[in-house]
Amino acid sequence: MPIKLILEILLFCLLMFIIILIILKRGRISVKYSLVWFIPVIVILICALIPNFMMMLAKLLGFQTLSNMIFSILIAILIFICLSLTIIVSGQKEKIKLLIQEVSLLKEKVDDKNGSRK
Amino acid sequence: MKKILVIIPAYNEQDNILKTYKSIINYNKKNKTNYDVIVINDGSKDKTGKILNTNEIPHVNLIHNLGIGGAMQTGYKYALENDYDIAVQFDGDGQHNVNYIKDLVDVLDKDSDIVIGSRFIKDVGEFKSTAARRMGINIISFFIKLFTKKKIYDTTSGFRACNKKVIGKFAYSYPTEYPEPISNFELLKQGFKIKEVSVEMNKREGGISSISSWKNIYYMINVILSIIIISVRRYK
Repeated sequence: MPIKLILEILLFCLLMFIIILIILKRGRISVKYSLVWFIPVIVILICALIPNFMMMLAKLLGFQTLSNMIFSILIAILIFICLSLTIIVSGQKEKIKLLIQEVSLLKEKVDDKNGSRK
Repeated sequence: MKKILVIIPAYNEQDNILKTYKSIINYNKKNKTNYDVIVINDGSKDKTGKILNTNEIPHVNLIHNLGIGGAMQTGYKYALENDYDIAVQFDGDGQHNVNYIKDLVDVLDKDSDIVIGSRFIKDVGEFKSTAARRMGINIISFFIKLFTKKKIYDTTSGFRACNKKVIGKFAYSYPTEYPEPISNFELLKQGFKIKEVSVEMNKREGGISSISSWKNIYYMINVILSIIIISVRRYK
């Protein structure tokens, strides 16, 4: 792999790493969910650092070029992340529904007791 | 005397809600029944909330719109909390006729857990909905029969009465979307007894149905997929 490409990849990984850390530091993402985003960064990093081994692996698995394998792996990881996000969203939707119902019922009860229907 | 609650979910029903409520109150006076009413105001954006307040109609205001399933479930939670024996689902848009509540409750008392007010058992009433929609309902019926060996004619009907056992079940879990066919199927799967009673339904007097015509196919796919998924799920 040309040295230029490796440098570019390293730069990209560094940037991703810093961005995730900044978001983490600001508390905009929980540690648990940030881990998921470190995985693709690490995968790219490995590919850049040991290209010969990865090239062999690509050939073994039937990929024509190394880049094809990297793309495939990353797409798979992204699909997995999306799926897990959908699971999280579904769970939260259920929790929000429960909250709205209970708060509304409680509110009705309180209003009823005070005799003042707002 | 059994405590009966009529649950009316309402989303932007300013034109019909008062009429619907009054029809039940008048019925109570005429027939010496005591159906309690609770309107679940599902975050309406029109004057529904105001009408409910000024006319002192018992209601729960959902602090945010939940959709028909979430609203209906709130009604069942209310029924459970207040220890009702029977809960009747009733539309706020004037589609359902208060005179049939008694028919549903009578059958429920005998030997079933939930009774559906059905449009299709016998030929009564002018409102049969469109041919496309009837076909859709028939297909859903077919799938339910395929998995449970039981036939429900009008599985999308929102006019239903259920006993305490089912109130408890619905308060605990109720489908968020397309609740009627899916919950009917779930009940059958869990061994509850469902009966159908022939009722007459009026044409909608205002408002927009929760199932608009172009969404019919999407609705069908969703319901059938849900039925298939539920049928492979295990219940303890």
